[in-house]
Formats: sequence, structure tokens, C-alpha cells
Amino acid sequence: MRRIGVLLSKEFGKGPRNFMFIFAIAVPVVFTLLISLLVGTIFSGKPRLGLADEGHSQVMAAAQDVESLIVKEYDTAVALRTAVENGSVDLGIVLPAGFDDKIRDEAQVEITAYVWGESQLKNRAVTGTTFFNLIREIVGQEPPVEIVMTPLGDEAALPWEERLMPLIVLITILLAGMMVPASSLVEEKQKRTLYALTITPASLGEVFVAKGLMGVILSMFMGALTLALNNAFGTQPGLLTFVLFLGATLAAAFGVLLGALIKDINALFAVTKGMGLFLYAPSLIGLFPSIPQWTAKIFPTYYMIQPVVEITQQGGTWSDIAPEIEILVVLILLMMGVVTAVIRRAHQQEVIGLTAA
Amino acid sequence: MTDAIVAEGLTYSYGQLLAVDSISFNVAEGEILGFLGPNGAGKSTTVKMLTGQLQPKAGQATLLGLDVVKKPKKVQEHIGVCFELTNLYEQMSAAENLKLFARLFGVKNFDADALLKRVGLDGRGGDRVETYSKGMKQRLMVARSLVNTPRILFLDEPTEGLDPTSSAAIRRVILEERERGATIFLTTHDMVEADKLSDRVAFIDKGKIVALDTPHALKQRYGKRMIKAEIAKNGGLEYREIVLDRDETAADVAALFSDEKVITLHSEEATLEDIFMQITGRGLV
Repeated sequence: MRRIGVLLSKEFGKGPRNFMFIFAIAVPVVFTLLISLLVGTIFSGKPRLGLADEGHSQVMAAAQDVESLIVKEYDTAVALRTAVENGSVDLGIVLPAGFDDKIRDEAQVEITAYVWGESQLKNRAVTGTTFFNLIREIVGQEPPVEIVMTPLGDEAALPWEERLMPLIVLITILLAGMMVPASSLVEEKQKRTLYALTITPASLGEVFVAKGLMGVILSMFMGALTLALNNAFGTQPGLLTFVLFLGATLAAAFGVLLGALIKDINALFAVTKGMGLFLYAPSLIGLFPSIPQWTAKIFPTYYMIQPVVEITQQGGTWSDIAPEIEILVVLILLMMGVVTAVIRRAHQQEVIGLTAA
Repeated sequence: MTDAIVAEGLTYSYGQLLAVDSISFNVAEGEILGFLGPNGAGKSTTVKMLTGQLQPKAGQATLLGLDVVKKPKKVQEHIGVCFELTNLYEQMSAAENLKLFARLFGVKNFDADALLKRVGLDGRGGDRVETYSKGMKQRLMVARSLVNTPRILFLDEPTEGLDPTSSAAIRRVILEERERGATIFLTTHDMVEADKLSDRVAFIDKGKIVALDTPHALKQRYGKRMIKAEIAKNGGLEYREIVLDRDETAADVAALFSDEKVITLHSEEATLEDIFMQITGRGLV
């Protein structure tokens, strides 16, 4: 453990001087910013609520004071509906005449709400919850309101920001978890420093573990950072962190395997380029709803990213993601087995490419 | 004196190529063994087997009484290895390189500056290795091999292609290490270096040890002692060689001085390279 700690501190100490390390940190941040600028709401991230007041409801004034929302007022229900169809607001609610009196009398009130089909789930949730809270403040008890939701626009399609998020997270996990350990190992072989390390009391296994741990830690950190930058951390940070840990572990184990088997950095880049479609296929399939989504399950990386998507975008719980997690754990164990076999054969040296003159 | 290194029937092959063919030898504690041979003779493969980097296909090696195959990490705690090709972390400073390896060896109170001073790199410890010259890097390699105060030191061509200052610094350290009591396994092409530093030398050729003894004994056994005379003749210079230890030597020497005008006279003995060529029929390069 002490030697793994020494090797790990060396990895992080050397990291800022390593191209791939810096690349793994910079790329997800740059991608996130670019996508937010192009299709997202980076400068106006607040959920948008539209209200059409057919009477003189106190809800309107109270809503204007809520800082966590952008509240827009519309003169008529028709104008509100048009605004929702255009995506100007995430949720549009028509407040009927006499609304306040009815809810104070505890009479059942049915109100119409329009939902922009491409709005983010969290925006719908925030606007809806805030609206109910406003009514509760006015009435002083649970509001007797029934909302009839009318989706408008292209409901089937997630906004591009949300569709691209899994791809960014997968790129992040694979760059930091797989490419950083792999390139670091290949560099150690090319510069023959791996040979120097393994002639100390440190074993090849300890070197591999240190590289893998670096990948796991960096991958988890960058994965969490990317989700946070995308406002997609969800409501279950513990479960999400666990899922990120498993995904990062599979990526790091694969990275160590690549690093152990590939002899030079050009070959590593060629192999990873060649595998690009295989690695990123689940996220690419998710970009296009017209492709049968079940095909994503063929690819191992699906089991890394799908639980993240379920937790962050669909509010998934442990029971929802358990089947994917089980397969992910099996994949991790298989990969660990292969890496262990490589370490065992490493004394033959040809396996890890240490030249024997 | 006990043996620090014992090799018995060590054998290794790369596929069909037999690199090391059942070699046996021992090196006593505190001894410097020069391990000489041309490229591809099996020197590096032997070192790799002795240092636990390669498992022999046959035979066994024992260092400090420990079987290298069974307890490689235990063995590696007590050895230092200086590789022929530099393999330092070039983006780290010299001191960082040394401290990293000292921590891996679990050395307490490690003084990087003192070690850098020993190899003539004092004042440069904070510089990145990538800014070093070849000679400085090689001296740092030697310093790195000493971080754990090894009982056995493996040096693979430590002065190959270096400037005289760096070579002298490394030779001085080798002799200091022997003084300390370390056993040194020195692989080199430099016959003069091997002759000066080694207590014994082993010649390896085509994977086999073809000779193993002290340089003096090898010269005695294989070399021809002779004197070489430079004489003035026909307005120019000519050379005469007279082999010693023969019945007619005395008469030849007398004739030389009576018949010729001797300008210079030198005694000559065979070099290790001559002996290697004599034994193997080929040179060391």
C-alpha cells in the first residue's frame, strides 16, 4: 500500500506536465461550455414559468418575487400557449378568473398547464413545484388544485443539451479513466522508466494499480465536474457517485490493459481511434431517437453511461439501475481477470513490451 | 569470503534463439566482476535474469543467498541497477527522481543532495533532467542505483560514450562502492576500464562464458609477452617484435642491439581485447 501511495503521488505530481492528463481535464470543460453556448442555457439557466392571469390572482405578484424562476406574464391563454409552443417558457399556467377565492374556499379547481415538450425535466419539476408552493403560501394548506397538463412541441425529443450530456460524460470518463492510465503506461515503456520501477521492491502489479487508481480518481472527479457543469447532478449524489466509481473502474482497468499490451503512443492512439465508434456508440445512438435504442445495449460502455443517464435525467433509483449495474460489475470483474493474467505473464516481458536484448 | 552472486546453469532463449546457454559463475562479496562480450552475446539477458526481470528457462541464480526467481522483490531490495540506456523521469528534477526511488525502497532520512554531490551533480538537483547532458544523465543513473545503498550493484555500460570527466566520476564512485563492501557486476565494452576496475573478468560469447579469471591470469594464460623495438633503417623507421619466454629470446635481443640502431624499446603485453579475439576469433564490437 505504501508503494502504491508513492507511485500514485508520482502520477499526480507528474500529471500537470503530461499532455493527456491536461487534455482529459480540459476537453470535458471545453465541450460543456461549447454545447451550452450553442444549444443550451448557460447564461439563463433558470427555469421559465409563463402565467396568463384571467382574473387578478395574488399568485402572479408572488411569482414575480421568486428569484429561482424567470416568470413571464401573458395577457391571454392563447398568447401563453403560443409562447410555450415556441419554447419561450418551460411551463405555462392559465390562472382562471376567481382562482384565489376558489382555493381559499377549498373548492376543487382545475387549471390548464402547457408544457414545452423539449424542456428539461428538472425545469418542469422546479416550475411545477414552485407554483404549488406559491398557492400553499396563499391558502395556508395543501392546495385543492388539479393541473391538466398539455404537452406542446416535440415531446419525444429531449433537448440537444440533454441528448449530448451522456456523450460528454462518456468522453470524460473514458479520457480520464482509460486514456490517462494507458498513455502513462505506454510512455513509461517507451522511456523505459517502467523497467526502472519494477527493479525496485515495487511490483508490476503495484505500478498497474497506481495507474488504475489515478484513472479512477481523475475519471470520477471529472465525471462529477462535468455533470455539475451541465446542471445534471440529479437528486441522488451518493448513488451517482457509486455509479461513476464503477464506470471509472471499468474504464481504468481497460486503460491499464491497453497500456500493458500496446508498445508505443502512436499505436495507442491508432487503436483508440479504431475503437472510437465501439466505445461511444451507446451515446451516439442516444443522440438519434430514430435508431432502435436497444442496439446500444450491445456495447459494454452502455452499462457505464446508462445508469448515469437514468439517475440524472430520469430520476432513476437503485432498483431502476440495478440490472445495468450487475452487468457493469461482471464486466469489471472480467477486465480485472484479464489484467491479472497479463501481470502474471509479465515476467516473460514480451507481454508488456519491455525489450529484452 | 562468501559469494554474493551464484549462477548455476542459467539459460534463456527468445523463441528459437538461445541467448544464454547454461552459464555458471559466482561473484564474491566485495568483488568487481567485469562481464565482457560483444553485442548480442547475452550480457543484458544475464543481467535481467540476475536482477529478477526475466525468469530463466533453466538453471538458477542466487543473490545474497536468496533465489531470484522465488524471491525477486526481496532480492531487489538489496540491489542497485544502472541501465545502459537512460530511463529517468525527464520532466522531473534530479532530486525528485532520486527521492521517488528512495521512497519506493523505503529509505528513511534520504539525502538527495549528498548523493548528487558524490556523482558531481551538486547544485543541479533542482533542474529538470531533460536539461541535462548525456554525461550528467548517466551520472544521475549511477546515483539512482545507489539510493538504497545496495549490497550488489549492476552497472551496464556505465561510461559508454561519455566525456572523460563523467567517466572518471563514475569510475571513482565504482571504486568507492567496492571500498564500502558492495559487490559490483560491471558490463562493459571498454577493455581498459574492465582491466582497471575488475577483480575478475568473464568473457561471454554466443551465450556461453568462454573465459573467467583475473585480468592478470588471463594475460598470463593467453597473452604473448613481447618487446617491441623501433629501429632506424634506410633513412626511415622500422619495427621489430621479439616474443619473450622462448629459448631463442636472449639471442634475438642481443642481435637486435648488435645489428640494429635501436631508437625506442617497449615491453608489450596482450590486452583483454586481444585475448577475447584469441579465444573467440572475433572482436568485442
